[in-house]
Amino acid sequence: MAENSTLIIIIILIILAIGLAFSIGANDETLSTLVGTGILKFKIALIIGGAAIGGGMIAFSSGFVAKTVGSDILGEGITYTTFMLLTVLISSIIWLIIGSFAGIPLSSTHSLLGSVVGVLIVYAISQGGVNPENALNWDKLGNIILSWFLSPLFGLIITYLLFKIIAKTYLSKLKGLNQIEKSEKYFKWFLLGSVIFAEIWVGANSGEALGILYGLLNNGSLNLGQYFFFAIICGIFALLGIFIAGRYVIRNLASQMTDARPSEGLITQSSSSIILMIATLFGLPISHSHVIVFCIIGMNKAQKKEIDLKNLGKMAIYWVLTFPIAGIMAGFLYFGLNLIGLV
Amino acid sequence: MIKMEEEIDDKILSKMSIDELTRLFMDAINEQNLKLIEGIEHLVEENFKEFKKNLTYVIKTNTEVAIKKKFESKIFKSKLMFSKADRLKLFNKINDIKNIGEFLANKLLLYMVVFPDEEFKLQIQNILKSLRIISNYLSDAVKLIGSDLSKARDICEDIKEERRRMRKTEWRLLDKLYNYDMDYLSRTFLYLKELIENVMMLADHIKNFSEYIQFLATKYLIFE
Repeated sequence: MAENSTLIIIIILIILAIGLAFSIGANDETLSTLVGTGILKFKIALIIGGAAIGGGMIAFSSGFVAKTVGSDILGEGITYTTFMLLTVLISSIIWLIIGSFAGIPLSSTHSLLGSVVGVLIVYAISQGGVNPENALNWDKLGNIILSWFLSPLFGLIITYLLFKIIAKTYLSKLKGLNQIEKSEKYFKWFLLGSVIFAEIWVGANSGEALGILYGLLNNGSLNLGQYFFFAIICGIFALLGIFIAGRYVIRNLASQMTDARPSEGLITQSSSSIILMIATLFGLPISHSHVIVFCIIGMNKAQKKEIDLKNLGKMAIYWVLTFPIAGIMAGFLYFGLNLIGLV
Repeated sequence: MIKMEEEIDDKILSKMSIDELTRLFMDAINEQNLKLIEGIEHLVEENFKEFKKNLTYVIKTNTEVAIKKKFESKIFKSKLMFSKADRLKLFNKINDIKNIGEFLANKLLLYMVVFPDEEFKLQIQNILKSLRIISNYLSDAVKLIGSDLSKARDICEDIKEERRRMRKTEWRLLDKLYNYDMDYLSRTFLYLKELIENVMMLADHIKNFSEYIQFLATKYLIFE
């Protein structure tokens, strides 16, 4: 009976992980710059972008961010139980849904990590017989949290510098609209490359889905073959996420970008993908949307454009609050499940 | 500059780029604008025959229609053009000059007047002279958008300066008109008043257009 219920929970977890992979694709707006420039037909752009995000997810599933979320963040000798993983997922999903209804842009990465920390601390206190100090790999967690502050900051700096260099050496020398249009035509092809590159790293850094599967691998619920099989399924669902649901967001944003300059899109996309690549290679799950927002701020700063500090301040508060709130919510949920004897 | 008297061959137009079509269109419209100004000068000189001839030319000429059609078919097909919306707006603004010119010509042909005195004539001629200057400036600025936005922006500054001078003359003329001792026939008064105001309407459009060109320069040029 107990085995049956564990199997059911594992199946639920796999379905939720696949659902998360789908939502990663569905919420990805990286393609909008590409679609806005009209360089590719809409459906072809969706397929290429989806394949890149799915490919990135699969290619980096053997470790990196998935391993960090699924195993490295845990204290020594601790593995996830299926209920812990279920609580983490349910809690972060609830928090993201609340955020969506309230119109607050939240990071799924921060939400998931917050939930992991909340669950692990309550687990250590309530039933693990583990000192909370040893429940988590605090060095790893410290590095992750540091990367959340550094990645947007570096995104801003890299975009700023990249724009200044390209503007000084090339863009400022373009005199007429014909020349500008001609050069932007070339930039469009570079933009295509940079968007595909960015999508690969968005997929590779999306540790939410694969982190859960890695947790199941780590606690022996899945074997390596099964893990890779489901990682491939996640990759395919990320592609489907873009193709089925992401298209609306992408089309909507792209329609506002028809006269956006491809060179600017190239600079922001390249900067954010560099950051995502470095973070992924270090196994650090970061928020892509935070990085891209700061890349755009870097671009505006370089062009001496006004920055909406009021909105930015609001966003920053939500960003900072997501982690502790998700943690507290997950902690309470796990504690509640524990009280009624489910875990 | 291509002579606008005859229809331009469709094959030639097909070979032209969007920028070349814009320049050609600007030439066509500017040529009609200059004809209109020349026509009003004939009216001031009481040469009614030439006045009618010029203004009728402005109304009847439609060489620009073929250019417009070709431009529209090209721009809507063009996919890889990030400045498409601005190119289209620019073209429509040129077309608006034609619309205003045509409106002005039709209105002026309704009636004809003899100007009150030499001083009034001189002031009107000054306004027309300025209008000719800004019309030519605008044509130069539009044609420079493709090759040198910075220069186009500077020319637009000259347009605004010249238009400011025209405004001063306009007030002087209206003041004169309202304060003549002699009692005017109301339609003569109305005609002269509308002549001044409509000429200034054209000047205002050119000034607004020049501000749009300056906006384009700010949008597309990157200064370091």
